[in-house]
This record gives sequence, structure tokens and C-alpha cells, in this order.
Amino acid sequence: MAEISEAHDSDSSKSTDNASEAPTQPESEPEFNPKLMRKTKPGLKRLFLTFSVLFSFLLGLQFLWKSVEIYRSPLPFREIDSLSTQLGSDHLIFPLHFHALFVGFDSDPDRLRLSILSEITKLTSQNPKCSHNYTLSVTVDSGSHCLHSPTTSPHSCSYQCGSITAIDFDQNDDVAIDERLVPVFGGKTNEYSVVVVKGESERAVVGKNRRAWVVVGSGREVEIAVVKVAEVLVKVFVNGGREEGSIRNEFMPVGADGRIVLSFNLLNADPRDWVYDWDFRKIDNNLLAPMIEALGPVANISVESQVLYHTPKASFSYWDQQLQSYVFSTKDLPFFVNSNEWHLDTSIAAGGRSKILQFVVYVPSAKECPLLLQLPNGEISNTNGFISPMWGGVIVWNPQGCLKDDNKPTARRTIPMQDLENMFEVFTGQFRQLFGFKSVNIYAGASGVWNLLPSERGFTEWELDVLSRQHTCFNLHSCASTLGSLSRLVQSLPRMIIMDEIGKQVKFSLEAAKLAQSNASNGVYESSAASSRQARSLAEDAFFHPSIMSVSYYSFEHCFAVYSPFFLPVSMHVVLAALSERRRYRKEKSKYLAWKAKANAAS
Amino acid sequence: MALLQRPFFVLLLVLTHQFMQYWIAFGSVNEEGQKQEEEFNEELLLKPLPDRKVLAHFHFQSSAPPSTSNGRHHHIFPKAISQLVQKFRVKEMELSFTQGRWNYESWGGFDPIPSSNAKPPGVELWAVFDVPQHQIDASWQNLTHTLSGLFCASINFLESTTTYSAPEWSFPPASGNLRYGTLPREAVCTENLTPWLKLLPCRDKAGIAVLLDRPSIYRGFYHSQRLHLTSTGSGSEGMVSGIILEQTLTVVLQPNSQRAGMAYASERHIQPSWSLTSIFGKQVSGTCVLAKSSNVYLLLDRGLVAELEHLHKENEKSAENGFTSQNFWTKPSFELSADPDRIFIEENSLHSKGSSVLYKFQVEKYSESEPFDLSLTWKIPVVWLSQQAPLHASRFLMGSGNERGAIAISLKSTQLSEGFMGANADDERCDLQVNVFQVVPWYVKVYFHSLQVFVNQQPKAISDIIEKIHVSPSKDKVSPGVMEMVLKLPCKVNSAALTIEFDKGFLHIDEYPPDANQGFDIPSAIISFPNFHASMIFLKDDSVNKSPLLSKFQEKSPVMSYTEALLVPLTTPDFSMPYNVITITCTVFALYFGSLLNVLRRRVAEEERFLKEKAAKKTGRLSLLLSKLSAKLRGRQWEPPSSPPASSSFINAKLVFKVILVAGLAVGWQYFFS
Repeated sequence: MAEISEAHDSDSSKSTDNASEAPTQPESEPEFNPKLMRKTKPGLKRLFLTFSVLFSFLLGLQFLWKSVEIYRSPLPFREIDSLSTQLGSDHLIFPLHFHALFVGFDSDPDRLRLSILSEITKLTSQNPKCSHNYTLSVTVDSGSHCLHSPTTSPHSCSYQCGSITAIDFDQNDDVAIDERLVPVFGGKTNEYSVVVVKGESERAVVGKNRRAWVVVGSGREVEIAVVKVAEVLVKVFVNGGREEGSIRNEFMPVGADGRIVLSFNLLNADPRDWVYDWDFRKIDNNLLAPMIEALGPVANISVESQVLYHTPKASFSYWDQQLQSYVFSTKDLPFFVNSNEWHLDTSIAAGGRSKILQFVVYVPSAKECPLLLQLPNGEISNTNGFISPMWGGVIVWNPQGCLKDDNKPTARRTIPMQDLENMFEVFTGQFRQLFGFKSVNIYAGASGVWNLLPSERGFTEWELDVLSRQHTCFNLHSCASTLGSLSRLVQSLPRMIIMDEIGKQVKFSLEAAKLAQSNASNGVYESSAASSRQARSLAEDAFFHPSIMSVSYYSFEHCFAVYSPFFLPVSMHVVLAALSERRRYRKEKSKYLAWKAKANAAS
Repeated sequence: MALLQRPFFVLLLVLTHQFMQYWIAFGSVNEEGQKQEEEFNEELLLKPLPDRKVLAHFHFQSSAPPSTSNGRHHHIFPKAISQLVQKFRVKEMELSFTQGRWNYESWGGFDPIPSSNAKPPGVELWAVFDVPQHQIDASWQNLTHTLSGLFCASINFLESTTTYSAPEWSFPPASGNLRYGTLPREAVCTENLTPWLKLLPCRDKAGIAVLLDRPSIYRGFYHSQRLHLTSTGSGSEGMVSGIILEQTLTVVLQPNSQRAGMAYASERHIQPSWSLTSIFGKQVSGTCVLAKSSNVYLLLDRGLVAELEHLHKENEKSAENGFTSQNFWTKPSFELSADPDRIFIEENSLHSKGSSVLYKFQVEKYSESEPFDLSLTWKIPVVWLSQQAPLHASRFLMGSGNERGAIAISLKSTQLSEGFMGANADDERCDLQVNVFQVVPWYVKVYFHSLQVFVNQQPKAISDIIEKIHVSPSKDKVSPGVMEMVLKLPCKVNSAALTIEFDKGFLHIDEYPPDANQGFDIPSAIISFPNFHASMIFLKDDSVNKSPLLSKFQEKSPVMSYTEALLVPLTTPDFSMPYNVITITCTVFALYFGSLLNVLRRRVAEEERFLKEKAAKKTGRLSLLLSKLSAKLRGRQWEPPSSPPASSSFINAKLVFKVILVAGLAVGWQYFFS
């Protein structure tokens, strides 16, 4: 320091960046004011130094930013958006082929076709989610010759002219007629056909195999037939005969991995009164196996059963003198299931995201036997059971006569096979209801009553088609909404780590969704259902990936806490130094300029 | 219960290594082509303990015969357990939740109850799998997760390879497919009991389980809830193997003394009288209707019976004229409130001490109107000792400091079993075989070469005492260290000790559990005596075979005892240290950097001139005060500065500006991030 001060004393005039001039200024120029002017140019050395430090600091910040960056696998946000917009603006169109056959008529097929089409457009309600693209062909078989409309339809050629006549429909055995119709239209086609014949007994029947027939009486037969044909096509074959608003259409009790576990429980409310057991294995093999096989394309179903004891219901019933029984009214139904005492466990055998449907047979205790369920209108329920959407169903089964065997109360009795079969018919109905179908075999439309032939497998072929379409539609929408939420989540949390695996799952999910869409538009229901299921389960996998669930992402606060003790004081120094140097340089420069101006003026 | 055939037992002799193991296989005879049915049995065993306590041992057994639909359709057997067995191919499994420590010295260590139901504190799980060798670990990990969901416990912590081990031969059901893990710190409470009860068909709604009143159970001194399942061989092709599920709950309770008013000095010797109501606060009002058998037993152990016999003889001597020689057991020195249905007396072939006596009560005979409430009233003071295991094992830590230490296992001969050993000690070379199984976590780094053996306080060569040793050293952060040993001690041994030294390892900062300062647990070691069998043989009888509890007693299982769990304090860091280090380093760097920058842009001449000017002009108020103060300190008279103080508004304005700047930054920061 001493040296420097000495240097200042001896050398001050030479030092370029010494601020204002020393007081040893020559007095030659009278106007020179050392407070406002200087003669030398202000130096740039310190200014340059502080600014270079500042710039290197700013450059270093970029590297720092890079080093604390976290890994985020790139997600195809644009494709996710386009998937949801595509599904939103009904790009998912299922093609359907309708065929109407008029036997014994001699009307103009083109005119019939047009009137059926106009009826169909009247009936079609706009489903906001999935739409159908249908083609209609009409054949009029007048006995001697056939007329097709449109003439070059690829679908009407399967019908051979004159292969059925009105006599075939005279018999009353609808099942036999249904069988008779199978070879007529070719066994394997995916088209829906309606046969219209003239006859004595008017009836309308929907068969098991995508066929329906109408027998119309004489009179205004053509007009009635046209309305009926349009209705069966739209309301039954396309919508599955369900009413709007009964259960929301997109509700599908299928797990995200495409599995359903049917868990059957026999609950003995109080085993001290009686203990009932069942032979479930027989039921499983005889009654449930065909239904499970039929539903194979929609879901992979497994069946389990158990018997539980000491399981009272959660609410009380009252004694009805007139009915000589205990009555449980509908408004108390939400309190029937006793979740404290009914330990209907989730299945260990099932995977994580399978859907478990609980079916419960409730055997009341002697104190409340017989127990009947009362409908809101005061009548007693025929099935003595109820369903809870997405949960399962309950049936109350009263032992015969409610007789307590006082001698041997502990003996285990078996539910008679006949009762079990009745119970499982109700269960099948409940299962159909959970899928949104009706449990009765009659469809009452605007134009009349249709008799629906039940399948011994629980679900008819056209119902399975409806399920497949609905399943595909539901899966694709749920996949799109899951991916959409994922992309919103990822974009809203910029410091969340996203693993490569998630990126891969999203990619595969999108691919599967595309495949499902293209399969659906080609009318391959089964494979589109399968790939839509895959798309949904992959999307759920990505969304519920453990690395997303954890909160261990690298927060900005953490970053700040680690780096601020260094960068805050240092940047303070650097920035303040740069600012003050700059201010000083300006001041000095203005001084110099002022002197220069004066000097110029003087000279 | 119309069962058309009866299971009979086939004793299979399996010779593995040196041990004889007895497995009981349930065979079935298909007499009339009818299927075997699922069964459930409930039993309760009560036993007075020498230290005025009562042992209650609940035993529930459900069994599912081999069938095609196991895991899918069940009537009594819990579906969840069956699915677990099918899914993970479990051959045998035992899970226990324990609170408290079994007091081997006063509660005995030789009976079947302590040797198979005394468990280490916390959770113990072992399982044998029926899968290829390379899939065992995966099965184990899935099993731990499933069980932790099923029992509401943190069993899933046993998933990590550092927490479980694979004993080769020292653990009793030794097999290559065995995995063993413990969680000594797991707290056990009602949330573990409720799912356990859910596996019973009647839960705690009916039958003996009604007694399981939560407050009285958890008030006890020892509480161990156990679940043991064995899958029995499948009957034929395509059949899924059957399962036997054995659920036991062992509690040691202190009966409320009914004679609280009496304050005699001798009262300490009088055993408290108790009844089911006084220890559980409940009574049994009938059976669980699904149970095939429902019995309550009262067991008087060998020591007590010998003592009672002795007293009885003395009594007879003193009052010779009184009694005719009646049967001893109908006139005992205590009174029972109910008449036993049967009395079993142990077949006494080996033990000189006497034979235990078992009273059987059938709950079926009681009903809601006439509930079963067994009570026992002592008429005379009795003092006795329970039968001990040949050696009493205890384990402790040696050394001090946070760097190294030593584990010592000390085995002390129990005087009581001497007579028994004497029977064996006829020949010259008499050995007492002791198996030791010890798992040590990896952060306790054991030096196996430092193993030392002392017999009767004399150091001995290892090769003389240790017949067989298997060591698998721990791998850091991968697997724990396992030590299995077979010791051959002379029969006349008074005490033996094993010591082994260890270093305490360092853990990474995120490997410390919460509350690391509490210390780290070393799981209990298992000491077993394969030559001694804890079994009680009763007179061969149908009713003995029918009762699962009694047939369990007849199994020849080796005597086993667990040592204490140890708590090792490790060096625990100050967990805020990383931040402190970061902050202090950064501050130093910032200081250095800032001063360097200041020096670089310093203009010395200008500053000096500026200072001179300033000094000439004014002195701030603060400097005025300072100079005053220093003058006072120096003892001189203060002279006011020459120049009159100018306004210090410039400095103040700067200060205010700085404060505002910082405050503004803070407000901006808060605003930006909220």
C-alpha cells in the first residue's frame, strides 16, 4: 500500500485512470474546474475488467443451469392432443351393414330403402362419443325373382333368392326359425339382417345371431314394416336395446388390465340359526363357464367364491303383518351392504387393476326371516335382489319355511340346486344390467314390442357386438383423457423427472390407440377391442408410474438453497462493481468532454 | 359333523444332514369317493406360570384338503391365504408379530409352547418356497408385499436383500429354499390382530375368540400372534395341494388379584386365583358353530405337578387318619369352577420330575344362558419352577465407543436340567449339541476370525468346540452376514460363551432410518438344541389325535430359544451438516471473490484524497460517539472534532436505499414464488 501511495505522489499525472486531476494543475487555463473537468481521457482498464467478470459470470450461469437441469423424456404432446381432438370430433366411426329382406312383397326396393333410411335418420340420436356409419341394402323377394337395392351392393349377394318363404315363419318355435335363418344369410357375415314376411300372427323377434324377423299382417304392412325395421336396426342392433339414461352408456365394469374377477359370496347372517353352504363348483362349471367364454373378447373373467359367517346387514327391516314377512324398503338399500362386517376381500390372485365385481347371496338370520325387498311402488321385488353399479349385486335368499332346526342347529345344510339355479339366473340378469343391458327379454319400442331371444350363454351375438363397440369407444376415450391429464401434469410441473419408460409407454399407448381406431373403422371389433384395451392399460401404466407418484423431484427451492450462499453475495459484488464503474466512467467522460469543449472554445 | 372318513397321521421320517425331522402329513382315505371337507378347530390352553401370571395360548387351525379348486372356491378356509399359497408357491411359512420378550427363566423354555411360540420381538417371517432356486428371491419379495397389505404391517421392508437371509441348515425347517427375515422394531397392535382374526370363520363374534378383548390382551406382559401355514402334498394329478393354516396367539397376563385386601407377607407366595372373566373380562358363551372341535385346556406343568404331589404326600402324613387313598387328581390343592371332561396325564418315560397334567373342557356343553367361565382358586401356597432348556442363552454387547465392539453370546447351564442330562451322561463322551444361528446387518462388520470360545470361563480352541460352521460374510448394502454354528459342549458344562468382534460401518446419509440416534437393531440369535425335543406325549387316544393342539404337542420339535435383540448405537451424523458445509464454503468463496474484485478495481490515490476531504469536512454522529467512547476509555478528555459536523444525510440516504433494495428483493422473491 505504501508503494502505491508513493507512486501516486510521484506519478499521479501519468496515471491514466486516476480520477480527477491532482491539485497540481497548471494554472495556465483559468476556467479549469477540477470538480467538473478533466484533461485526460478516462481509462478503460477497470471498466473492462469488471465487465469481463460480469460477462464470464453470466456465461457461467448457463453452464450452471445446464448442470442442474433434470432429465425429462420428451413426450409426444402434439400427438396426445391430436388423439383427443380426433376422438372429440367423432373420428371413431364404426361401419355397420344392414340388410332388410322383404319376402313375399313386390314393392320397389329403392323406394323401400329410401323410406327405411329416412326412418333411421329420424331415430338415430347423436351419440357424442362414438358414431356409426351404416350402409343399408334392401332385397325384395317376390317369390319368383329378387330385386336388390342398391343393385351392386357387396353385402346382399350372400342371400340366395327364394331360399326362405313365408311358410318358414308359420311355426311358433322362434328358436327353430332363428336356426333356419343362419345358413340363409351365410353364417359368418357381420351384417345385421331383418326379414319381413306377411303372415297371420303378428310378431317381431330378434334372434341370437344378428338376425331379426317381423311377421306383419295384411293392411298397411309396408309402412309398419319400414318403421319396425328401422327401429330394430337402430334401437336394438346398434344401441343394444337399452334405454337412454338407465346406466351411463360408457360405464364398463372392466378393469384397466381388461380383467374382471367375479367374486361370489354366500353370507350367513347368523350361523347360530342355520348354516348354509353351496356346491359352487358345479355352478361354476355348468352355468358360468359358457357366459365367461362368450365374454372372452370383451374381458378376461375369473370366478372365485367363498362363504362368510356372522355377517348381519347394516340396516333394519320391519315386520309386515300382511305379507307375513320382514320387509326392507328400497330407500334403505344403500345401508344394506355392511362394509364393516362383510369382509369381501379383494382378490390376491387378481392383478392390481382388475375390476372385482362382488355378487352376494344373503341368507338372513332367523330373526328376520323371510326377508323381502320392497320396490318404491310398494310391490315386492320378484328377484329379491338389487345391483350397485360398478360394485356388484346382492340377492336375498330365504331358507325354505325359515324353519330353525332346534335339534341340530350347527349342521351345515346345502342350498338346493333348484334354488341355486334360480339365483344364478338372477345373477346373470344382474351381470347384464351391470353391463347396461336389460334383464328382461322384451324390448318395448315405439312401434311395438320385440321379443328378444335369450342366449344360453347370457349374451347374444349382437349384444356382444354392442359391448365390443362400446368397450373400444370407452377405452379409447379413457386412454385419451388419461394421456391428456398426463401431458397437462407434465407440462405444469417443469421440474419433474420423467423417466424414459414413461415416454415409451406413452408412445406404445398412442400406437395401440391408432391401431384400435383403424381396426374399428374397418369393422374388426374384436381386435380393436383388444388393442384399445392395451392402449388404455399402457396409458394408465404411464400415469401411475411410481416415479411420477413419488414427490422426490428436484425442487427449485432445493436448488436455490444450495447455490444461493455463493451466488447471491458474489453476484451482488459483481453487479454493483460493474454498475459503479460504469457510472464513474460516464461521469469522468463527461468531465473530459466538458474540458475538451472548453479547450476547443478557447483555442 | 358327518365326516365319513377320518384323517390319520402318517409319520414320515426325513433325514436331512444330521437332523431328524418329523413332519406330519395328513393323508386321506377316500372311502366312499366323497371329498374331504375344509375343517376348523379352535382351542385354548391356559397355564399358571410360576411368577403369578397366567399363560393363555389360543390355537385355531383351519385346513383345506387337496382339491382342484383351492384358491378359487372356499367354504371355511380363508380365500386370501389359499390364493397367497397358490400364487407364490409357498410350501411352508410362518409369520409372527410379537410384543414383549418371553421370560425363559421364569416361564420355562422346554415345553412345546415356549419352543415354538416364544418369538423375537417385532415381526419374524420365514418361508419355504416350492419354486426353482433363481425365482425364490422374487417370490419372497412379492410375498412380503402381499403380507404387508394383508396384515397392515410394514413387512414390505423385508423386501430389500439387506434384511433377509437364507440359512443353510441351522434353522429348524432347514432347506435350500428357505428365506428368513426379522423386523425387530415393528410395533404390534390391534391393526395387526384384526386382519388376523378375519381369517377365522367366526372372527371374534363367537366361540373361544370372543375372549380376545383388545385392552386385556395388550395389557399383558407378552403377546405373540403367529400364523403358520403348511401346504400338504397334493393328493393326485391336477389337484392343488391342501393347506393347513395354524393361527396361534400366546399371551402372558397378570390376573387381577382377587384378594387385594390381604396384606400378609406370605401373600407373595400364594398364587393368585383367577377366572376367564378376571383375566379377559369376558366369558365364552358357546362355540363357533363352524368349529369341528372347541376345547379349553388347563395345563399344569411338570414342576407344578411334582410340587403338588409333594405337598399332597406331606398332607397325608400329617393327617394320616383322614383320607382314604383317593385318586390324587380328584382332590387337588386347588379348586376348579367346572368339572373337566377329561384328564390327560403325560406319559412319563424320560423325565424324573413328574409329568404334566392336562384338564380338558368341552365348550360345546355351554351356551349363552350358561356361559363357560373357568376359574381356578388355590387353596394352599405353591412355589415351583418351570422346566428350563438345557442352557440359558443371553446375548450382549461389549466394548465402548462408536468405532468397534463385540457381540457375546453366553450360555449358562440351568440347574434344573442336570438330572435329565445325567441320564444321558452315562457314557464317557457325552456331548451337548447346540446350534447357533445369527444374522448380523451389513453395517455391523463382523470379523469372523476373531471368534473366541470360552467353556467354564476357560478359552478353548475353536476346533474343539465348534463342530461345524457356516459363514456367509455380509456384502455392503447388499446382504447381511449370516453365521451358523454347531457347538459340541461337554455335558457337564457350567457356562459357555462366544465372542466375536465387529467394526461399526458408516452409512450413507439417506440410508439412516428416522430417529437414527436410537440405535440399530441386531436381530435375535436362535439357539436350538437338536438333541432335546420339546414334546408332551399323552396316552394314545382318539381324542388326542383329533385335537390339533395336542397333536402339535406330540410332535418332536427341537428345543429352541431366542436371545435378546441388541441395540447398537452407530455414529449418526448431524443431518443438517451438508447445508452447513455448503453455506460456510460458499461464504468463504464469496468473501474471497468479492475482496479480490474490490482490490482489482481499487483507486488508492483517489480514495485517500476523498477520505482526507471527508475528514476535513465532517464526522458522522456514530464516529463522534466512537471517539467519545474511546476517549473515555483512554481516560483522556474528549475534545470535539475541529470541524463542525455536517449533515450525514448522504450516508443515511445510502443506507436507506440499501435497506429498501434488499426489502424490495425479498418482496419480489416472495411475490414471484407464491
